[in-house]
Amino acid sequence: MNESSISGFEERSRALFDASVDDIDMRVRSRLTQARYAALEAAARPPRFFRAPWFASAAGITGAAVLAVALWFGAPHGPHAPTAADTQASLEDLDIVASSDENSGAPMEMLQDDVEFYDWAAQKTADSDSDSGSVG
Amino acid sequence: MPRFATLSDAWMAWDGPARAPRGVVLDQTRELDKFLADIERRAFRMAQVALRDPDDALDAVQDAMLKLARNYASKPSAEWRPLFYRILENGIRDLQRRRAVRKRLMVWLPGPKEDPDNEAQDPMENVAASGPDAPERLMQAEAIEKLESSLRELPARQREAFMLRNFEGLDVAGTAAAMGCSEGSVKTHYSRAVHALRARLGEVW
Repeated sequence: MNESSISGFEERSRALFDASVDDIDMRVRSRLTQARYAALEAAARPPRFFRAPWFASAAGITGAAVLAVALWFGAPHGPHAPTAADTQASLEDLDIVASSDENSGAPMEMLQDDVEFYDWAAQKTADSDSDSGSVG
Repeated sequence: MPRFATLSDAWMAWDGPARAPRGVVLDQTRELDKFLADIERRAFRMAQVALRDPDDALDAVQDAMLKLARNYASKPSAEWRPLFYRILENGIRDLQRRRAVRKRLMVWLPGPKEDPDNEAQDPMENVAASGPDAPERLMQAEAIEKLESSLRELPARQREAFMLRNFEGLDVAGTAAAMGCSEGSVKTHYSRAVHALRARLGEVW
């Protein structure tokens, strides 16, 4: 079996395979396109480092609610009283959390994506409250 | 200990996992779309050669696309092709294993015994029955069927090496990365595959 006959065999088999790819029917093409879109959607989502159990999601959402209430009603313990500008900033933040743009998905989904952040922020706020309580 | 006046302040203070800027993500998504669109039909046919069943082949390709997008989209695009085929081949092997287990179970279970291999689509069904080039298309379909059945008779590693090198056009290094073996092994598998196929299909094929 010489090199040229092997090369001819490779070319012929490749040409046949290419022809069979061109002959793929519309049903399969459509399903492949759907599969591709699903994969791209998965790639566009922010990375998740672990799949949180349901109670962890619930803790994150609760943390977000606690943080929102703390920001909404809590007076800052800084050197100045809340100003109209602070209130405006808080309103804008809540507006950002509540709204959704074309790529961010539903607000609840966004909250679930940011569970780690809200847990952390709620913890920091709680620590801050306990520190100021023990001093005052 | 800080207390945040606004959510923006909290985000600024957080040192959690960083996210890529939106523009970068969009460029990457476009590139991935182009890559997957370029590869999907050939990948489907390669999976179909190994699995016969078109629905199983679609499942394997869909699964490989999802895994590549979820886990390796941030890798350099030059690495996607071997990675994709490695995931696909692993998926094909899993499906074949599950199918073998199902077959063994079917022997013990009551009821009609189904053989998934018999449900595979006949490639001749897709060939138009009439038209000026009908005889040529029939001959081509027959040749493809012969090639595919010969490929199925090869050991899995030889089949993989032949399809990745010859059908997909990967070089030896890319094929080795996709198969998770050395370049020397790829050359051996490929050479054996070519000779076995030539012997099965005959010199005149």
